[in-house]
Amino acid sequence: MTSARRKPYGVKGAPYAFLIPATVLFLLFFALPIGYAIWLSFRKVKVSGLGLGSGARREVWAGLENYTAALTDSELVNGALRVLGYGCIVVPVMLGLALLFALMLDSDKVRFAPFTRLAIFLPYAIPGVVAALLWGFLYLPDVSPFYFVLDRLGLPQPDLLDGGPLYLALSNIAVWGGTGFNMIVIYTSLQAIPAEVHEAAKLDGATPLQIALKIKIPMVAPSLVLTFFFSIIATLQVFNEPTTLKPLTNSVSTTWSPLMKVYQDAFGKGDIYAAAAQATIIALATLLLSFGFLRAANRRQKQEAAR
Amino acid sequence: MSSLAVGKTATAAGSAPGTVQDRPPLRRRIAFVPTVTLLLGALYCLLPVAWVVIAATKSGSELFSTFTFLPGTGFADNVSELSAYRDGVYWQWMGNSALYAGLGALLSTCVSAVSGYALATYRFRGRETLFNVLLAGVLMPPIILAVPQYLLLANVGLTDSYLSVLLPQILSPYGVYLSRIYAAAAVPADVVEAGRMDGASEWRIFTRVALPMMVPGMVTVFLFQFVAVWNNFLLPYIMLSDDEKFPITLGLFTLLEQGANTPALYTLVITGAFLAVIPLVALFLVIQRFWSLDLLSGAVKS
Amino acid sequence: MPNTKRTRLVASTIAVALGATALAACGSSDSDSEAESGPVSLTYWTWTPGMDKVVDLWNKGPGKKDRITVTVKKQASGDTLVTKILTAHKAGQAPDLVQAEYQALPTLVSNDAVADIAGEVGDAKDKFADGVWQQTTLGTDAVYAVPQDIGPMMFYYREDLFKQYGLKVPATWEEFAETARALKKKAPDKDLTTFSANDSGLFAGLAQQAGAKWWTTSGEKWKVGIDDAASQKVAKFWGDLVKEGAVDNQPMYTPAWNKALNTGKQIAWVSAVWAPGTLTTAAPDTKGKWAMAPLPQWSDSANVTGSWGGSSTAVTTDSDHKAAAAKFAAWLNTDGDALNALAKESGIYPASTSAQLSGAFTTPPDYFSNQVDFYKTAAEIAETTAPSAWGPNVNVAYTTFKDAFGEAAKNKSDFAAALKTMQDDTVADLKKQGFEVSE
Repeated sequence: MTSARRKPYGVKGAPYAFLIPATVLFLLFFALPIGYAIWLSFRKVKVSGLGLGSGARREVWAGLENYTAALTDSELVNGALRVLGYGCIVVPVMLGLALLFALMLDSDKVRFAPFTRLAIFLPYAIPGVVAALLWGFLYLPDVSPFYFVLDRLGLPQPDLLDGGPLYLALSNIAVWGGTGFNMIVIYTSLQAIPAEVHEAAKLDGATPLQIALKIKIPMVAPSLVLTFFFSIIATLQVFNEPTTLKPLTNSVSTTWSPLMKVYQDAFGKGDIYAAAAQATIIALATLLLSFGFLRAANRRQKQEAAR
Repeated sequence: MSSLAVGKTATAAGSAPGTVQDRPPLRRRIAFVPTVTLLLGALYCLLPVAWVVIAATKSGSELFSTFTFLPGTGFADNVSELSAYRDGVYWQWMGNSALYAGLGALLSTCVSAVSGYALATYRFRGRETLFNVLLAGVLMPPIILAVPQYLLLANVGLTDSYLSVLLPQILSPYGVYLSRIYAAAAVPADVVEAGRMDGASEWRIFTRVALPMMVPGMVTVFLFQFVAVWNNFLLPYIMLSDDEKFPITLGLFTLLEQGANTPALYTLVITGAFLAVIPLVALFLVIQRFWSLDLLSGAVKS
Repeated sequence: MPNTKRTRLVASTIAVALGATALAACGSSDSDSEAESGPVSLTYWTWTPGMDKVVDLWNKGPGKKDRITVTVKKQASGDTLVTKILTAHKAGQAPDLVQAEYQALPTLVSNDAVADIAGEVGDAKDKFADGVWQQTTLGTDAVYAVPQDIGPMMFYYREDLFKQYGLKVPATWEEFAETARALKKKAPDKDLTTFSANDSGLFAGLAQQAGAKWWTTSGEKWKVGIDDAASQKVAKFWGDLVKEGAVDNQPMYTPAWNKALNTGKQIAWVSAVWAPGTLTTAAPDTKGKWAMAPLPQWSDSANVTGSWGGSSTAVTTDSDHKAAAAKFAAWLNTDGDALNALAKESGIYPASTSAQLSGAFTTPPDYFSNQVDFYKTAAEIAETTAPSAWGPNVNVAYTTFKDAFGEAAKNKSDFAAALKTMQDDTVADLKKQGFEVSE
């Protein structure tokens, strides 16, 4: 991007020049691998005889076989339904809390803001390798301090790792881990609102609540759309939370979410072809949902802008 | 979604007046409701983190035998044992992670900034298409991309190298999106226009005028990308075979999965995870200074 | 300096783009170089801790003489390592030597990832028990690996608590069930053990003891026997115990499981020879209170055990120096010094029969210092290991096991149905891949 010699390029060429690095990286590390994955999804392995020895295994064209297999696999559909239920809890709670915390951080005279901001963000930094141990210690009745307290108080001790509560247990991990991240996104946009805007409203006698509702939230709408968009994608691709709880309970299967099934097929069963087909289907579903949402959000914004 | 948050805000604000009337001086000094809400949120988030801290102080026998939130006595032993493991390879992992995450996030932020700025400021043919295509990169689950990425890099002999972990993580669709939104909000069109009137080149306008205005957003992008690379597991797992090049997540995983004969080194893993959080906290503390616009407005003027 | 770096980066970026077009064409480069001359350098993927120290012995001793240097690249164990090896093999970049669990060998062989080294290591056969050796030949004339460690299964129990509750060490599975019930009667909040659905190797070993042969071949066809009578017997046995609540149904290796062992909530564990290591971390407070006995039998006269765990050293087809690599693999797993070092540095239980009673194995493991003849008993038990029969899609069967038996254990429902699911999925997968399967 060093442009000393290319100084005279005009306003017209500039954006294209600016976008060269992103485009090149995209082609190399996203487009090519995606293309290869899609190509793989139309392939399969063909073994002859006992499959021992060299040359017994060939890669052949599979047509739509992997796709029909994936679409008729009830486990994938069940996984999608489970994820839907999970997403209905996680997305609103996580983004609601993120927005709430961001607004609070942005309000006047708030104390301990740097500390709380760090604290709420910190869970995002805990590596997944440790998360399973961590939640084991907090969720399993025999070792959990919460069950200890419940026991002492003589209160009922629900089984967190089965049935309905399992969804709450999973959602809690996601909310705990993701709220800080989204809070920072929204908070950063709040910081971009010029101070004069608040000041003017405050002089007009608006309460902090009114300022938040009437001024701040509309102004950070693009960030809210962003967090929503990526939360939908993250939900459809949920993998970490159930994988964390999997070793702790019989209730989470290796195919609990669609992406877990993809992982299981690719890395457990070594069938990268079926996994690629399933991943493509998940990607298409995500495309429909998330870009549908994006389009709707954009349309609304344009309507509002027109008004 | 926003209705839920608003509802909470409303109830929270509703209880505020009482406090205000009772103790007017307090109202002036601190905003009670936001502070308490944030402290509650911090408590919720810190409790599990506290577990990691406390567990890191426990010796192997204390880990499973003492009360979960009771500190142990083995922290120093754990750290020295961790440092002794394979001649201190742990600190090598730490250094590797710092390199992958630091350099990766820096490059990523540069790419995101310039792309986001271009997408936000200019109107050009193919803008939305290009933007949407870049975004579509997040649709394909990374799990399925790791294998093709490995095969591609194997073709040019780059596997098991630092580059194999760095290169695929430079472009972050999330970062580009965030940068675009941030550039749109933070860089007023008339400022760019004024730069053009002065005869500055587009590149100069970007680096000298727009970029300083975008700093709070860019540090956010840097932070996110840093943590994302720091915690990434699958890509280095597939790419690397030499454990001297491993990042910390992968290294800890090898401590946990040593095969059936050898028990998982839980205390080392927990201590290692705890120590690995410290650089992230330090980074966060440094970065949050750049979120304040007051600090920057001065920088823009000078 | 920064300039050269950037140039290189640009160059390699372009190379990636060019290379991608040749992607489909990538394959393994086979070049058998029989007559080695000049120094050879080999890489070795292993998860065994302390392996670098053992390899140092080679590099300074026999390796130096033969000018063969081995470099250890430490990996994480587990099912995903097989995928990692296969991915590397697909790119023709697998290391020269890999550590592989026995049940993973057929998968690696059928992907043409590991080489036949019968010519180089065939002589080592008599150093190992037949049942162990046969796992590396897959019943063919080829030899695909050299056995490293084994995991003969045993019964571990809390000696003090058995005495306290007046329990007898079960010699048969029938007695085992009685013991579980007796304990429940005397101490309702305790369990003899748990049926865990998160490690398929345990169930596979138990079925193997009962005489199950999950994969066999006849002619050019595979036969899957997961749903055979022996396995059904084992499944029903544990299913009934779980159903009546005589044993727990929660998974192993969780913090709660560790605590249960440490506090005596669970007083026995069906495990393998490597259990002392696990118990050391899981139940540190009960050191010296455990004892080991042979696995319960299905009949009074029988004396067999299954195996759970264990691994081998294989040479990959990608290696340019197969003969040298095979030489190292044979040394590592048959040489006295090497085996001693393996025992000392890595704590493995050697597959080589001569090593099982020498060196480090003349004294009991620290955790079992109360049982002086621990390794003598272990060696006797190891001799009774039933042959195992692995096939090319063990990973599929194991995955299905976790889900089907996890579900059944949770609901305390029919284990036989879960076993049937496992059989059906395994057969379906074989057929899908194009293997010939006889019904």
